[in-house]
Amino acid sequence: MPRESFQQELDNLTSDVLGVGREVGVSLENMGRAMETGAEELAARELGVDVRYKARGAELDRDSMILQARQAPVAGDLRLLYTVQAVTNHLVRSGALSEHICHALAETAGAERDEDLEAALVEMARTARNIFNEGLDIFENRDIDRARDLQAKDDKVDLLYSEAMNLIANPSDSGAGAPEWRMRAALMVHYLERIADHGVDIGGSTVFLVTGQRIEDAMRQYIERDVNRDEE
Amino acid sequence: MTQSERTREGQRLTGVSRDQRATRKGGGGEAAGDNSTLGMKVGNLAAFYGSFKAVTDVSMDIQANKVTALIGPSGCGKSTYIRCLNRMHEVIPGARAEGSVTLGDQDIYAKGSDPVVIRRRIGMVFQKPNPFSKSIYENVAWGARINGFKGDMDDLVERSLRQAALWEEVKDRLKESGFSLSGGQQQRLCIARTLAVEPEVILMDEPASALDPVSTQKIEDTMAELKKSYTVVIVTHNMQQAARISDYTGFFYIVNMGDPGRLWEFDETEKIFSNPERKETEDYVTGRFG
Repeated sequence: MPRESFQQELDNLTSDVLGVGREVGVSLENMGRAMETGAEELAARELGVDVRYKARGAELDRDSMILQARQAPVAGDLRLLYTVQAVTNHLVRSGALSEHICHALAETAGAERDEDLEAALVEMARTARNIFNEGLDIFENRDIDRARDLQAKDDKVDLLYSEAMNLIANPSDSGAGAPEWRMRAALMVHYLERIADHGVDIGGSTVFLVTGQRIEDAMRQYIERDVNRDEE
Repeated sequence: MTQSERTREGQRLTGVSRDQRATRKGGGGEAAGDNSTLGMKVGNLAAFYGSFKAVTDVSMDIQANKVTALIGPSGCGKSTYIRCLNRMHEVIPGARAEGSVTLGDQDIYAKGSDPVVIRRRIGMVFQKPNPFSKSIYENVAWGARINGFKGDMDDLVERSLRQAALWEEVKDRLKESGFSLSGGQQQRLCIARTLAVEPEVILMDEPASALDPVSTQKIEDTMAELKKSYTVVIVTHNMQQAARISDYTGFFYIVNMGDPGRLWEFDETEKIFSNPERKETEDYVTGRFG
């Protein structure tokens, strides 16, 4: 096949991105377990992954740039490299946010917690992790039909976000938790919501990779089509 | 047909007299941003070499004041097709074309159309620079002179050389032979020669394929200026060149060996090079075949 070595380089780059994605997935798994079980040492083990992910991200960006410079990619190849860079950014950011959460967990170990708020956080972490993993799976398998469903799943995270923020703003008289923990909980809620968004965006990037269309445009067309049908 | 008849035929074909065209394109070589240049329309074109059908069923709107690039694997009929656009294909013994090709509203294959006039209105620049064995000045002036140009020849030569982005490099050596120029300069001289007869459309068949990168860049820059005043069609094997310079791109393709070439996909260049509709186009522009 012509351009065999170029294709091999694209495959290797994609494989490397997925490798980083799986590592971030493990970090998210550890973060969730540390939150759920209060395992302070598990959270502490995750400290420092941010630097590693950023270094891997920089390597992937460099490899992608070199391929663009040397191979002058167009069409599907160009979209792949563009998507690889976007997905890499989402992975690195998700890894960094996961470490921020572990940092908060480690620093507030043993602090008194609001059980309802903690339950909301655990559920958010589980859902955000699932969305992230699914986004990565959509990218790996180019399974764009699931990308739209992923946006719907993100609605659940948004609801949990509202619920958690409500609990933070309106603590119950009994068991409100330590002020330091509540403050960190507010940040963790925000970080988890962002991780879920990164997962959704990875799915959306895959829609662009496969179709050349922005998922927002595809969604708009879909919505307008339904509206027109209703009018008929 | 006599020369004066050809001049009148040219005016009839384009609806614009030479004086009007010279005025609207401005003096001193400044591209005038002319919006009245004519486009072309091709309908169900087929081209033959004897009984062999080399190109079939090509329909294409060639937009005025735009660069249209034709790409595709070797032997798919791009050069044959572009030669049909100014009736040069029929110069080859046994070669003929069917279908319609219009410049503006005029069918260039209509009975009574003079191919010589057509070729003046729709100029051609070839792959290999082919200056005449004459001075730089005469290379540009010759075509206009034999077509009955009566105006200020010095002005026409300067204007044409400026439009071809060559004036500054040759203005002090106009009496030297065209062969004294570098390959890239010779090609721009050929472009100036084409411009001197005031065409509506410029066809270019791989104009930079024999040139070094710097000369290629100058030709590409020239094309960006030329499209302000002319309609440009270019055949190129250089995918990045098509992506850089053209507004529209047509991909020619042969389904099976021995079949005639077809226009497989035609769209805005940014579409062809970012998200083509057809797999074969994608495979070609990404270098998976061809």
